[in-house]
Amino acid sequence: MRLAPVPILVLLLMASGCTLTSFEPDTPKGTGTHTPTPPAPGSGPIITSVPEVSPTAPGAEPGSVVAPTPLPRERPRTPPATLSPASKALVGQAQTQRKKGDLPGATASLERALRIEPNNPLLWIEMGRLRMDQHNYPQAEAMGRKALSMSVGDNRTQSQAWLLISDSLKARGKNPQAQEALAKSKELSQF
Amino acid sequence: MAKSKRSARTRRHAQKGFAILALLLLVVAVVVVAVLDHRVTKQFEGRRWTLPARVYAQPLELYVGQTLSAAKFTQELSRLGYIAQGPAARPGTYRRKGDRIDLFVRAFHFSDQEQAALQLRVAFDGDAITELTDTQGADVPVIRLDPLLIGSIFPIHGEDRIVVSPDQVPPLLPAALKAVEDRKFDTHHGVDPLAILRALLTNVRAGQVEQGGSTLTQQLVKSYFLDSRRTLGRKAEEAIMAVILESRFEKTDIMNAYINEIYLGQDGRRAVHGFGLASQFYFGKPLSECALHEIALLVTIVRGPSYYDPRRHPERTLERRNLVLKLLAERGVVKPEEAERAMKKPLGVTDNAGRSANYFPAFLDLVRRQLREDYPEEALTEAGLTVFSTLDPLLQEKAEDALSEELERQEKSGRKSAKGLEGTMVVTTPQTGEVIAIVGGRRASFDGFNRALDMQRPIGSLAKPLVYLAAFESGRYTPASIVDDAPVELKLPNGQVWKPGNYDKKLRGPVPLVRALTQSLNLATVNLGMAVGLDKVAKTYVQLGLDEAPPAYPSMLLGAANLNPIQVAQMYNTLANGGFRSPLRAVRAVIDEHGKPLKAPELEVSQAAPAEAIYALDRVLIEVFERGTGEPARRSLPPTLVVAGKTGTSNDYRDSWFAGFSGGHLIVVWMGHDDNSPTGLTGTTGALPAWAKLMSSISTTSFEPLMPEEMEDRWIDYFSGKETSPYCDGSAVRLPFMYGTVLEPSETCPPGISPEEAALLAPPAEGTIGPDGAPLPSPMPPTQP
Repeated sequence: MRLAPVPILVLLLMASGCTLTSFEPDTPKGTGTHTPTPPAPGSGPIITSVPEVSPTAPGAEPGSVVAPTPLPRERPRTPPATLSPASKALVGQAQTQRKKGDLPGATASLERALRIEPNNPLLWIEMGRLRMDQHNYPQAEAMGRKALSMSVGDNRTQSQAWLLISDSLKARGKNPQAQEALAKSKELSQF
Repeated sequence: MAKSKRSARTRRHAQKGFAILALLLLVVAVVVVAVLDHRVTKQFEGRRWTLPARVYAQPLELYVGQTLSAAKFTQELSRLGYIAQGPAARPGTYRRKGDRIDLFVRAFHFSDQEQAALQLRVAFDGDAITELTDTQGADVPVIRLDPLLIGSIFPIHGEDRIVVSPDQVPPLLPAALKAVEDRKFDTHHGVDPLAILRALLTNVRAGQVEQGGSTLTQQLVKSYFLDSRRTLGRKAEEAIMAVILESRFEKTDIMNAYINEIYLGQDGRRAVHGFGLASQFYFGKPLSECALHEIALLVTIVRGPSYYDPRRHPERTLERRNLVLKLLAERGVVKPEEAERAMKKPLGVTDNAGRSANYFPAFLDLVRRQLREDYPEEALTEAGLTVFSTLDPLLQEKAEDALSEELERQEKSGRKSAKGLEGTMVVTTPQTGEVIAIVGGRRASFDGFNRALDMQRPIGSLAKPLVYLAAFESGRYTPASIVDDAPVELKLPNGQVWKPGNYDKKLRGPVPLVRALTQSLNLATVNLGMAVGLDKVAKTYVQLGLDEAPPAYPSMLLGAANLNPIQVAQMYNTLANGGFRSPLRAVRAVIDEHGKPLKAPELEVSQAAPAEAIYALDRVLIEVFERGTGEPARRSLPPTLVVAGKTGTSNDYRDSWFAGFSGGHLIVVWMGHDDNSPTGLTGTTGALPAWAKLMSSISTTSFEPLMPEEMEDRWIDYFSGKETSPYCDGSAVRLPFMYGTVLEPSETCPPGISPEEAALLAPPAEGTIGPDGAPLPSPMPPTQP
């Protein structure tokens, strides 16, 4: 029963006008309804070059990881992040406070914005810029990396995050890594 | 003659003796006065009350889009002591008309900004703010309400006060004090001999001390400089000091000092001093907003804070308050009709001291401990600091309710082991690492053993995700990798043999990691942990935020490490925050008495583990609610809310844990007995329902981290770990893998299968496929929650 004759089924289905490839999969009932939705194929501008990894690659254990395939890989792009009106007002206030040298005040304003929009990468980049002013370079870099993790698919924001990371590396004399980060920033800004 | 000569000499001697004695007395008197003068002047001039640090909750932010209904908002306003009154024309008042609220926000000195009082219009649509403008109709992008005062850090048996400046005092208060306590205040020189005489007469007639006859100045001196002994010498000293004080300082200075100094009540160990704090303590609002009947009550309390305690003796206090009101009318302070109206009003004190003082001892304890890292004790109890904390009062209340309701429900079950069950809860906002609520025990306002901070208990299966994190981080495992759920015997350093078992004593053989973790399989986890390496697993505790790793014994894999709920929250906060570690904070900012910002813990993030490993783990923890030990809570949660978490149960059911998170909140719950006796509860039956009750009662967001760039989603079979199709009945689960991961395709239901084919494959009954292909009841019973 369970071992249904798959090939026959396939033939039958093809004969009835269905193809196996043109179907857009739906999430089946009862599973995965609460899991984050992966980028749906076709929803983004381009999907190219999904590598062919042989399921029977010699020596590879099922479930193991082979050497990562080369990047960049095209994933659906998302529109650039924007600030809500409340965050925008608070970021503006923080920038004024920064100019006046009131760094604790600027921190407080940015933290207010972060509580309203904790998932907005632009706010983490802004916070990282503030940490640069405070000469807290490791934290500036960490904030940049946090911004990266929450802007997957958003090239413009990722470019800004890499620029922050590059600046923080440069400030610590880590020039080769800073150059690398800067290159990433430039590359992403071209999209 | 000789005799008279002799007597004259004697007389001269005597005169001389008297003169010397008089001179000596004078010198002593001068010295005494000079000493007292020095003391009074010096102490009073550099007048500094010991000012305990005041601690505020986080302020409510208003902005368009904020999740808040008009009803909830008015609740918040009344908690802050705002009153619904007229056109909202003065600070501390509001007017609600359906879905529109006009309010006059009080001025407040925040850590970063002095916010002036301002009038606002807020419009709501259901659960959200849709409009926020000033009275001219101009948009206000974002604004804070003045925060709730939640307590202060005072020494044990110490004085607590809020100092008010003369402009914060309603003029009625000094007028009423003078009329009732000291009619000649404006003209006397510190003492009022007539009043003393009058008091003396009354006392002689009564045969005991009944009436004071002290001026306000004397009362101030007694409270400020002297102890409370009532001796004649003390009285004389008090009178002299009062005269000195009057000769050196202005009347207005003395009145202001009196208003801030005088004792007005007791709240457990804390003594309520000054009218500023008394107003908060009794009415839950600033002194400046007190009306006539409230001021009359405060003036009543001055007479005898315990005798006229409005909460304990409302009748006699009301009687006395009305007497005070009558007196104020008689003596021309207020119009008779005003007094009449005020007399008709109730006492107006907030329900009970615990709530009105917004007493959150467990949370304040954490604030105190975090501040002690930067400040000496005296700075906290004396220097007048203002502390801006992270507490969310609304959420705190909900957490208290959820925990106590669940503990009661357990007790009502009638099981003997549920009697006297205790519990604790910690809530954080993962992205900013802020602790927004702590419930220290069943009686949340009881200031006793702080379980959230001081309890050390084995964390049971809460430790398992750390084993899987180490596995994913090694790069050798994915959620589909197979591990053997088979017996294991391990030789310990002390020579003993450790032989753990599964919760249900069953063995499941080879299982994929996703199933081993979501169903909390002990043997599979031990086998995995040993293969990954104990040192690597121990290291993840530090990565996620502990100060030191637990001892790397095999029993650590099943949660033998003793931790407190805050430490658990710290580690799980990192999982909830996409692998970024943020030291948990209870304090946002501290300012000194002049408003200058001081040192406070900063928002920090650092990447604790590779994004891919954390992401894979987080996705498996989401599955805990779909098909694992968290599944029973699914139906009590909002259907679209994505959450992740893990149960924990220690040996013999002594500890029941649940740690889990949504996109906006992490909640850690523990239930158990203080004497460490068994509870009969697993993490699923004890802590999880309380967790779900709170999670479903708050406004929060789904946990939906972005998939790292180098990963993709694939469907695998929950029981075999083989790649399959989403159409393969209930056993297909979608999980993230690195690009290029080799997965063995399922023979029974391969990845490319069509829905039609899959439908033919699926068993007709509602069942799932077991590892051996045999249908099993669904959902699978959890093995070790």
